[in-house]
Amino acid sequence: MAKRFTKSAINWVEFEKQVPPEQKTKFLAFKAKADIYLRRVQANPPEPPKINWEEYQKIVPVKGLVDKMKTAYSGFQVPYPTDTLSAKVDEQWKSLEPKIKEYCAEIQKDIEVAQKELNRIKALPKFEDMTMETFYDVYPNEALDPVKRPTFWPHDPEEQLGYVPPQHKAVKK
Amino acid sequence: MFSRLALRSVAARQSTPTALVARGSATEVSGLRDEKNFPRPVRGEPGKVRLGFIPEEWFQFFHAKTGVTGPYTFGVGLATYLFSKEIYVMEHEYYTGLSIFVMIYYASTKFGPKLAEFLDKEVDNVETNWNAGRLSTIKSLEDSIAGEKEAQWRAQGQELLIEAKKENVLLQLEAAYRERALTAYQEVKRRLDFQLEKTLLERRIAQKNMVDWIVANVTKAITPDQEKQAMDRCIADLAALAKN
Repeated sequence: MAKRFTKSAINWVEFEKQVPPEQKTKFLAFKAKADIYLRRVQANPPEPPKINWEEYQKIVPVKGLVDKMKTAYSGFQVPYPTDTLSAKVDEQWKSLEPKIKEYCAEIQKDIEVAQKELNRIKALPKFEDMTMETFYDVYPNEALDPVKRPTFWPHDPEEQLGYVPPQHKAVKK
Repeated sequence: MFSRLALRSVAARQSTPTALVARGSATEVSGLRDEKNFPRPVRGEPGKVRLGFIPEEWFQFFHAKTGVTGPYTFGVGLATYLFSKEIYVMEHEYYTGLSIFVMIYYASTKFGPKLAEFLDKEVDNVETNWNAGRLSTIKSLEDSIAGEKEAQWRAQGQELLIEAKKENVLLQLEAAYRERALTAYQEVKRRLDFQLEKTLLERRIAQKNMVDWIVANVTKAITPDQEKQAMDRCIADLAALAKN
């Protein structure tokens, strides 16, 4: 006989936590279905109650009826229903598992890219420790460069040649 | 389900590179300085001074021979010598300098700490400004990594789903088995109970029938003569009882 069901082997609380929020409703529907099955199981006892053969033996006068029933009943094996669906579930798993692995691998690549970027940024010298020279080394486009891009003091956009204040821009348009 | 999660992680990926490009795409500090043998100098602490301008080393130099008060005594002696021999002349500029020194000392003790605090705060603001971009990028990267790890974990939760499905199948089988067992039991019990009830009923009817038949026959068999005798005997018994 196949293994009997005694207790739920699934930790529904942990399972619920793992469900992504967009699929919560589907999960709840699934859980409801599972609860229906569970209730159907629990409606009947795991073993049927025993029949008291002695009292029937005493009273029923028909010869051999009780004995015949007794032997027939104890010899009768209630057939455990055949399992047709587990195979389908296994098939689903077989097609699902590689997809999960693929997805996780893709995400892992993203994680690695992000991690590399993170490490690169963390390895940059701190601004507090930089001199103007090291700043020029790290960010050549933003540092003051008197040779390639000379600027007038005080080195802000308003004092440079060709500066157009914003409201004039709007008027020109 | 995967597509939705993929969209989320793609969004996280796209936000980070643009911020970084703005800050400079140099993957390495250009100039290729040999960091190991020629490490970049780190700003150190300023030298220790006493009275604001005299280096600590001079005091250490004196300490072995003259102890703690040595340098001060030397200073006082030197100053006395310079003043008394008029090597250091106390003329107008000296008095100006003295007055200015007193004013500056008073101002620095009164307003110095507050000004220092204010300036430090300004410096901190400038520093946070510099670091803001980097910190926000770091945070967003870390968040995206955490989100992606969570996505991986959730994807693996699907295994639980398959297990739950298997358990559902098992549940249904178990329910069917229990129903079958119960049906078998109930059928057998029904038949036995029927036999039991039938037998009991038959016995009851037979008993009742017999009692009725006996009573009927007895009443029939009593002749008028016997009846009269029985009555006379009863009266005599009653009389005897009444006498007693």
